[in-house]
Amino acid sequence: MFSSWVDLRGFRTFALTQLLQRLTLRLFSSGAGHSVLCLRNNTIFKQAFSLLKFKASGENPIYSAGGILLSTSRHYKSKPTHAIGRYQHLIKAEEPKKKRGKVEVRAINLGTDHEYCVLNIHLTAYDMTLAESYAQYVHNLCNDLSIKVEESYAMPTKTMEVMRLLDQGNKMVLDSVLTTHERVVQISGLSATFAEIFLEIIQSNLPEGVTLSVREHTEEDFKGRFKARPELEELLAKLN
Amino acid sequence: MAAPARRNLLGVARGWRRFERLWAGSLSSRSLSLAAAPANKGSPWRLLGALCLQRPPVVSKPLTPLQEEMAALLQQIEIEKSLYSDHELRALEESERLERKKADSYDEDDDRDDILLVQDLEDMWEQTFLQFKPGARITEADEKNDRTSLHRKLDRNLILLVREKLGDQDVWMLPQAEWQPGETLRGTAERTLATLSENNMEAKFLGNAPCGHYKFKFPQAMRTESNLGAKVFFFKALLLTGDFSQAGKKGHHVWVSKEELGDYLKPKYLAQVRKFLLDF
Repeated sequence: MFSSWVDLRGFRTFALTQLLQRLTLRLFSSGAGHSVLCLRNNTIFKQAFSLLKFKASGENPIYSAGGILLSTSRHYKSKPTHAIGRYQHLIKAEEPKKKRGKVEVRAINLGTDHEYCVLNIHLTAYDMTLAESYAQYVHNLCNDLSIKVEESYAMPTKTMEVMRLLDQGNKMVLDSVLTTHERVVQISGLSATFAEIFLEIIQSNLPEGVTLSVREHTEEDFKGRFKARPELEELLAKLN
Repeated sequence: MAAPARRNLLGVARGWRRFERLWAGSLSSRSLSLAAAPANKGSPWRLLGALCLQRPPVVSKPLTPLQEEMAALLQQIEIEKSLYSDHELRALEESERLERKKADSYDEDDDRDDILLVQDLEDMWEQTFLQFKPGARITEADEKNDRTSLHRKLDRNLILLVREKLGDQDVWMLPQAEWQPGETLRGTAERTLATLSENNMEAKFLGNAPCGHYKFKFPQAMRTESNLGAKVFFFKALLLTGDFSQAGKKGHHVWVSKEELGDYLKPKYLAQVRKFLLDF
């Protein structure tokens, strides 16, 4: 085990010396008193030997001079191991999410390739499972065709009560309650040449009962998602 | 992964860029009777804009046996996992109450006069359902195999083909017109539509880019220095409303689905046309 100290004189990596130091430390802590002394004598002798070897090869003797116990794992700025554990520069920094952030890109004219601005694909149906599963399909299709999906959200459900006039009398009776569900997939970066094919695919794959509507994203669309705030409107009315 | 897949799709549909790569082109023995039309400046090729008018399917396709089985299984699972609806709860309550009445235990306590019991409601609904007759999937035109009618094959895309005289031959092809300088190729396609249908048909063009192309050289007799051949660019449009007026020429137009195209079109032309037809 300790003969490996001598073998390591060729290696300059601190990591390996570190590893061996940790192993020796473990031996120190686990061994009995007598064996510890023996080992210690051995290590000091070996270290003196290896110290010379290290000096000869130009290695900095500070690590091996003080012994295993004194050398620590600090990375000084002047040492070659400076910033050894740095990784934040490799990760993509996440931009802080703004609450009211929106992306409004005008139609970019790139010669023959015209790109559409942000488009909203509205899928409306009476059956919620159908609308959701088709929205899922459109989203996956966009991912596969590498079209950027900005957002995928749901508009509030609209409830409609269908009243039927009874045969006898003027009374209206509740016949059924219909709920209209709407799902929106917002995409950007659709080139004009590809838009044709994409629209045809979506149209031909529409299931029964789902209506498709592709519109450009506008301010009203964006503001329509927020709840109405009656107190704010009252105050504004009072001001004006 | 996604990018190459998209590029493949684009490569299929961006046929109009392919003519740079297609060398030996396609030689077909066509003779155009438009010899007097002006050729492009500097280029020996004539430009034609063609229209691929599609009637989208009206009805969805019937399910395959596997799909039917799967649908039935999922439906059964859903029913077994679901909770009782209001209607079903009401039905259960009423059946309990009827039993109690028969047992003569709680006669006065819950003696509510419901005008309509759940059973009556269900009978009424059953009656209205029996009166409803869904439309036929296989129409008369299917049975007669009348290819000029638009009511055929309601679950497929139908494409318009016209028969025109080129020189001394009668050829079936997609309606086309010569490009005139000053208009876009899509404008040529729209003009074709207008002249064909006499403004009866309304179609929606999904984009400005052509979906396919076809290049052919004139036969040796017709070739000159400035008139080598013609390039046809196809534009896709979806038919919204309208049809040919019945008083028009008969036997000159046909609405066909993708499989029947082979009966009408020449092989090389057919090969190019099939590339941009999305059919399931």
